[in-house]
Amino acid sequence: MKKSLSIALMALVAMALVLGSCGKPAETGPKTITIMQNKPEIDPMLKAYAAIWGQANNVNVVVKSIGGTAGAMGPQLKADYAAGDMPDIFTFDGLESYKEWEGVIYDASAEPWVQKTSVAFKYNGKVFGAPVAVEGWGMAYNADMLAKAGIDPKTLVNYDGFKAAFEKLDKMKAELGIASVVSMAASVEMGWVTAHHNFNSLLSNGLPYGDLSVVNDLLAGKVDATRLSEYADWVELLFKYADRSVLLTGNYDSQVGAFATGKAAFLHQGNWTDPNMKAANATFKMAFAPHGSMKQATDGIFVSAPSYYAINKESKNLDLARKFIVDLVNTPEGHNYMVKEAGMIPAYSGVSLKPDGQLSQSVQEWSAAGKVYSWSQYYFTGDFRDKVLNPIYNQFAAGQITKAQFIDQMTKAFIANKQ
Amino acid sequence: MKTKRENALVFWLFLAPVLVAFALVIVVPFALGIYYSFTNWSSSARADSVVRFIGLENYAKSFADPAFLHSFIVTVGYTAMNVVFINAVAFGLAMLVTSKIKLRKFYRVGFFLPNLIGGLILGYIWQFLFNNALPSLGNVIPFLSGLADPDAYMLSKSGTALVALVIVGTWQYAGYIMMIYIAAIENVPVELHEAAMIDGASPLQRLRAITLPMVAQAFTVTMFLTLVQSFKQFDVNVSLTSGGPSTLFQGRPILGTELLALNIYNTAFLSNKLSEGQARAVVFFVVLAVISLIQVAVNKKKELEL
Repeated sequence: MKKSLSIALMALVAMALVLGSCGKPAETGPKTITIMQNKPEIDPMLKAYAAIWGQANNVNVVVKSIGGTAGAMGPQLKADYAAGDMPDIFTFDGLESYKEWEGVIYDASAEPWVQKTSVAFKYNGKVFGAPVAVEGWGMAYNADMLAKAGIDPKTLVNYDGFKAAFEKLDKMKAELGIASVVSMAASVEMGWVTAHHNFNSLLSNGLPYGDLSVVNDLLAGKVDATRLSEYADWVELLFKYADRSVLLTGNYDSQVGAFATGKAAFLHQGNWTDPNMKAANATFKMAFAPHGSMKQATDGIFVSAPSYYAINKESKNLDLARKFIVDLVNTPEGHNYMVKEAGMIPAYSGVSLKPDGQLSQSVQEWSAAGKVYSWSQYYFTGDFRDKVLNPIYNQFAAGQITKAQFIDQMTKAFIANKQ
Repeated sequence: MKTKRENALVFWLFLAPVLVAFALVIVVPFALGIYYSFTNWSSSARADSVVRFIGLENYAKSFADPAFLHSFIVTVGYTAMNVVFINAVAFGLAMLVTSKIKLRKFYRVGFFLPNLIGGLILGYIWQFLFNNALPSLGNVIPFLSGLADPDAYMLSKSGTALVALVIVGTWQYAGYIMMIYIAAIENVPVELHEAAMIDGASPLQRLRAITLPMVAQAFTVTMFLTLVQSFKQFDVNVSLTSGGPSTLFQGRPILGTELLALNIYNTAFLSNKLSEGQARAVVFFVVLAVISLIQVAVNKKKELEL
């Protein structure tokens, strides 16, 4: 009897050892706040800034950077949420992902930075997200090459302007030393270029900033045939004058690389390619032209905040998390991090620094002139864009379906998407 | 009587840590997973995020989705090709490195190495080979000029992209399976071969009548491993093709090489339908379990006992 008792006791001790290691040590020392964000390319800069800020405020700041599109950060955030380990500050990219986290996002309407930005994330009249930066895309062009070909970038405001320019450049390919006119990617991996960015031309090109009329019609399954048909012409034009290997199988590096090394006169990307241009030693002059997705002239490019900082309202250190954002917007160290270190276009007034990249400067110029169109693609679910639209673009690019079939498939997709 | 009970107690106590760990990381998540597949769970803070029991809705939706059905077909095709290729190549390599050629130890290591490279990296390396290296080969060598045509790239069409997945899968896994075959081939008693040789059997006859039946036990294991590995293929799929290029299925453009595991992942995290992805994972588990049980039963019948 005694023996079995001692065995049972031993077992208890063993169990306690096994389970005990699962517990957390008691918290001592400075408080910790966790930031999760979706731009791995600025991870070292943000960590450096967070370290400086943390030292000044006696806080331990943990930065987690989870790569690429929302699809990559989503799983990690969900896992952390399920584990009760939700970060204090996290980024989200628009309405659909806002809805995903609606229950924990802090109402920031009364924060001091709200007055300093025009692109904060708002929903039902309340502010929920602090813009990380301002980004923009259009048709990036090689200004030196256009000058050589005698093309005035000011004519690039509608379909006819682009068509004439593309045809002219196509004839001068050998002379200019280019492999194709435009560097466009439409592989499934690059679906964010077609089914997210290019798709947005259909949604907001030529409309006043924030106008959701086309979005709401499409969400209701009502398709404007003229607008869609003009848009299909534009997509066809881009695909026709693209390098087929980059178009069908190219990745980000090959798409951006073709433009940076002077193998293409146009690039269908945004100002986030500035570091790639620098890395490739691209010294030619470059800037953005609008998209030519319509017959009418659309004199503006697509500019918005790509993602927003959300504050977790269930955070144990809510005040510190709030202060982090406030200091980012209000201190010279914060400005230096945003603009000089991370190379972003600041989304807040009162920042006098300017980014170095040519494309970022071009976005700032368009923005300052007020010639901007919204980003409306986030009103459609990731599911719809990546699994329904993306294959349609890919089929069209590969020549598996005709333009008429493309229009038909897009129309069917919108009708099937109606809720 | 008393010692017997004590022995049993000690037995279970020693087993307890493992049992607890097994329960915590396998049994509980598995049971929870099955439970979640019948709910609307999304692991997010949606405004209406109350976990509700919704019966078989997730399963019904999954089977109504052409992309899921297509993934099934593609995965079965991929698995069939992969099992045949991997085993054929692995057995060939095993025969080679158990023969009397020079540097056979070196070859063994060489063939096994790809298995040590992570699938994600492997996918990106091969993407470069298919998209850049092969075409530039086509540019240099005249009679291979067909390779340089962008429409002929292996990754530009869903059919050939699936073959590309098989090539990479074989390259990655054949070395590992080879190791199992090597062990089996080296265990075949030399006397059998000697006796057959005295009787005048040719190498091919010896392969068919001695080596193959003697390594049948290894076939059970390798078939099982390759079958399960191919069915669960995920990382190479993500990095090499991301599920593309697209294809038309039931009149709808969908992802052409999206294997089941990727389809489940995309459903759960790209489409934000966690519980529906979970339902698909349960279906996936049942199908895989049934197929591999059948495979093991069939293979077992062919094994020889000496």
